[in-house]
Amino acid sequence: MLTVDRFNAFSFVDRITAVEPGARVHGQFTVPAELGRFSPCLVAEAIGQLAGWGAMARSDFRSRPLAALAAEALMWCDAVPGETLSLGVEFDRWDEDAVVYAGWARGGTRLLLTLNGCVGALLPLDEFDDPEEVRAHFDRLCHGGVPGPRFCGIAVPEPVIVEREPRRDLRATFQVPQSAPFFADHFPRRPVFPATLLLEAEIVLAGALARDLLPPSSRLLRVADVKLRTFILPGQTVTIEARVRSATDDSVAVALVAHVAGRRAATARIDMGSGSGG
Amino acid sequence: MTDEIRKEEVLAVYPRVAEAMADALGCDVEQLVLDIPLIEGLDAESIDFLDIVFRLERAFKVKIPRGKIVEDARGDLSEADFEHDGYLTDVGLQRLREYLCEVPPDRFRAPMKVGDIPFLFTVETFCRLVVRALRAAPPA
Repeated sequence: MLTVDRFNAFSFVDRITAVEPGARVHGQFTVPAELGRFSPCLVAEAIGQLAGWGAMARSDFRSRPLAALAAEALMWCDAVPGETLSLGVEFDRWDEDAVVYAGWARGGTRLLLTLNGCVGALLPLDEFDDPEEVRAHFDRLCHGGVPGPRFCGIAVPEPVIVEREPRRDLRATFQVPQSAPFFADHFPRRPVFPATLLLEAEIVLAGALARDLLPPSSRLLRVADVKLRTFILPGQTVTIEARVRSATDDSVAVALVAHVAGRRAATARIDMGSGSGG
Repeated sequence: MTDEIRKEEVLAVYPRVAEAMADALGCDVEQLVLDIPLIEGLDAESIDFLDIVFRLERAFKVKIPRGKIVEDARGDLSEADFEHDGYLTDVGLQRLREYLCEVPPDRFRAPMKVGDIPFLFTVETFCRLVVRALRAAPPA
């Protein structure tokens, strides 16, 4: 069935377990056991998608939120392939054109990731998707969910470093594919490169800078001040500038700016370190 | 309480407003001055205004509804008296000029699109927004 295939490509909510319209929504996603890794960015995507379901239902499927700002994402520990993630979103505020929310993901009793101060810009759903198809899938999610695990993994574009000043800054580029399975889901009527995949590339680059400054055991701790200024479209070339903003013996903060077609498309800050989490 | 905002009130909130703005715009605090237009002077975009407002809310623990500046400028005028077909009426433009009194008068040019109002915003506009929000906030 076309519908099922489409929601396999880039959907990270298998079941919605509770909805309090406009206030909170809870759900689940089972990470396929076959995956070698399920990145924190995709865990954040799952929380964002759950917020999306809550927001779309509140608007009776007239509008949908698209990621605009995120104050911070705290990475506590990694998701394990095969486990079922519990997801939660609390809506803080609704404006005419934006929704503010916080969220979390757990794997069993382990807190995996928390999102704070996320702002989704509310845009007309029918520009991006078929509202009736989306509504029908929401009903499935709320009434028993869809069979999982379904996600087959993603070929994330790998950034190529073109300039590098070790311990200080670097510049890298990557090409968004002209076509990819995830565009069928994100979004059918208006394909947009997912912001979480941009972050995935940025985390790789922040790690490349931090490697010269931190012990090998260091990890991603926090993504902060995420701002998405424009949609990144299929086939576009993305240039990322990463600069060490501050560094101590056990942590490094990297500022990142992504440019597309000569203009700033996104900014973020990534903290790497040897802390125990978040 | 008078609605007039005194310069010392603006200057009292300025350091934290400037810090929030610099973080939102990715510039240095030293680049900011009270009268700099945010769009033409600092390349701010609509997403930056959203970001600035949320940062100010967190920094000052106040609520600033979206569209607050235009809503306050309109005051008790009906929407039809304030704008027509996306353009400010004469009386609407006069109201805006009075409300954004920190903006030099020659920057209010008729006809003005409602969508172009953000071009008028300066750092001081947001300082004054914060002062009003603090005045409206219930005492702790």
